[in-house]
Amino acid sequence: MKFLSTVLVITMLLAGAALVLATPQQEAAGPVELMYWTHEDPNRTALEEKLIAEFQGQNPNVTVVRETAPSTPIIEKILTAFAARNAPDIFNIGAENEWQYIVGERVAPVDLEVVGYSSYKTMQDDYLPVTFNGALYEGKIYGLPMEITNWCIYVNNKYYREVGLDPATDYPKTWEQMLDVAEKLTIREGEVITRRGFDFRYPYYLNFFVPMANQLGGTVLTADGKSAAVDSAAWIKVLQYMADFGPNGRNLGSPTYTNARRTFNRDDNSVAMCISGLYQYDRIKAENEPFLPYVSVVPYPRFQNAVNDNGTAVYGHYYMVNASSSPAVRKAAWKLTWYFSNHEEEFLDQIGLTIPSKKLLDTAIYKNKKFADVFIDDMATADFIMVHESGPKFEDVIEEMVQDVMLSNVAPAEAARKGKVKINDILSQ
Amino acid sequence: MRRRQYWGWIFVLPAVLFFALFSYFPIINSFVASFHAKDILSLKAPKFIGLQNYIHIFTSQDFLNSIKATAYFAIGCFIPLVSISLVIATLVVGLRRFPKIQNLFKMIYYSPSIVSGVVSATIWLLIFDPRGLANQFLNFLANNPTPVDFKWLALPFMARLATIIIYFWKYVGYFVIIYFAGLVSIPTSLYEVAEIDGASAWRKFWSITIPLLKPTIEFVLIVAFIACVRTFSIQYVFVYAGSPREPINVISLNIYTTAMTYHSLGRSTAMSVSLFCFILIFTIVQLRIYRSERVSYV
Repeated sequence: MKFLSTVLVITMLLAGAALVLATPQQEAAGPVELMYWTHEDPNRTALEEKLIAEFQGQNPNVTVVRETAPSTPIIEKILTAFAARNAPDIFNIGAENEWQYIVGERVAPVDLEVVGYSSYKTMQDDYLPVTFNGALYEGKIYGLPMEITNWCIYVNNKYYREVGLDPATDYPKTWEQMLDVAEKLTIREGEVITRRGFDFRYPYYLNFFVPMANQLGGTVLTADGKSAAVDSAAWIKVLQYMADFGPNGRNLGSPTYTNARRTFNRDDNSVAMCISGLYQYDRIKAENEPFLPYVSVVPYPRFQNAVNDNGTAVYGHYYMVNASSSPAVRKAAWKLTWYFSNHEEEFLDQIGLTIPSKKLLDTAIYKNKKFADVFIDDMATADFIMVHESGPKFEDVIEEMVQDVMLSNVAPAEAARKGKVKINDILSQ
Repeated sequence: MRRRQYWGWIFVLPAVLFFALFSYFPIINSFVASFHAKDILSLKAPKFIGLQNYIHIFTSQDFLNSIKATAYFAIGCFIPLVSISLVIATLVVGLRRFPKIQNLFKMIYYSPSIVSGVVSATIWLLIFDPRGLANQFLNFLANNPTPVDFKWLALPFMARLATIIIYFWKYVGYFVIIYFAGLVSIPTSLYEVAEIDGASAWRKFWSITIPLLKPTIEFVLIVAFIACVRTFSIQYVFVYAGSPREPINVISLNIYTTAMTYHSLGRSTAMSVSLFCFILIFTIVQLRIYRSERVSYV
């Protein structure tokens, strides 16, 4: 009896160890399960779940498991999953974060047989030129577009009229004007801001802040890409602007306040202007439809003496497929993501996400989409977001630079110097 | 006897295996990784680089700043934690004639420690918001005619103070309970004898309570110090809510950022090993000091 008990215990231990160590593999043929991770967006969830149901009906051997996480934590969740070699089959994060997966060979190139193109070049020809800037690497495309987006300024017209401004004409065209307009719209009780006139889209510095430096001729790296260039006069001027804007300057906003974009939709007298994309309109429609008639969108401001006419950076989210998934899973994954990407009219009409195929640009939906013209006009002179394998690390450094000048009273030149040292350290690794 | 030992091993084996797999193995793996260069996302094998990671971190301004931030936090939190929790425990013990009220206070003080660090920090972010209770309370106390924004989340000093307040609030109850257990184990007869001899409350506290509480104090000092030095979740929530990173970039947060943002597993594990060694040395020194000071009146 005792001997049998011993054998039983040892067997249980070995079985447990086998379970822990075993790596499940999908069968080469037969049913396929696709694990798809994406960021939270209630509007897109409804559409994608509908499309998934249709796809599963057409492909009965494929089951799709869709999981969501908030847009910032999902970046770390996906990174951890890839580090642990237990990543989803399909995922999407912003292009500036996805690039390192492409360079690190963790994602697969698009399966041309599935999408029905003879080459990546012919595929590109059916889209706006900027579409694949965040997914094209060494001649291959590594993702299918979910959205290609830029940001402009959303305006709450009611608050403008309250302070005697005309939202059609008095919106800020320059950053210098922004300080004064935001001041007029800001409500404070003593030093405490109860309504911000405007606030930035922290912490997406590659999207909104680097273009401000670009407007003045600044760049993150030197032309040869080997050294940091964040200590130029342009950067110091932009950092000084943030210092003037922040709590130790004119006290118009701060990274420590609730993100302006999140509270704008509520129309609760907490913020008058925010930075967001075309999709924000559909989110307002879903969350607070009575507010829509009081919303307008204006172009991203430029500095008075700007040498470049940049709006916010154009960026994209791409559906990407895990290179470590089995061939059968990869094929099914590209089929599903191509199915998503080919419903560009529904993406634009129902959730305000633009997949800029030439087919879409000819449709009435695109031409009649409210405020699409403002975004398109600003996109015409915008640069694509910086895609570099160390891009997220650069963004982290730039965030520290901005926080230094806004919150810690560090002089802009010193913040710029520290930033340069850190970026050079990253480049040397 | 041998059979009993045999069966004893059988029954502890699962726990030993679990601990070996999920604790010892990662510790040894981290130690080995600290001598290699490894990108968290790369499929390439780690490259052995000897002590370069350690040289880099101990000569980098960033890690030295983390040591400074950790020191500020640990000292600012540690001293109030171990002293005020003892005072509170002494007061709670004094309510022994009202057991229900005593239990109520124990529950009130202990309950924040069961809330996760992230949840605690998220709640306190609302309190420290410019429009939140913290500013309102201080403006009320100061009777300011126009509200002042004390910038709890924005100014470096205030961000440090805010994290210390949250940590203290969260863990003071935990140490109150530990002290309470130590205090109630001291025989009341000793206090009665001292009272008969005319000792004052203060004298009883210093001559009876403190000496006999030394094993508990020793435990609290070690545990509190380790907890303060290893703090992470509060600073993480603050930084991702927009607070300046540098003043509160404690070592644990730097380890996390180095791995997750800068992808440098080698450097992050070098920081982890360094922190581990520091805590180990400190604990050994403390244990040696306290071992020589045991007191017994029995």
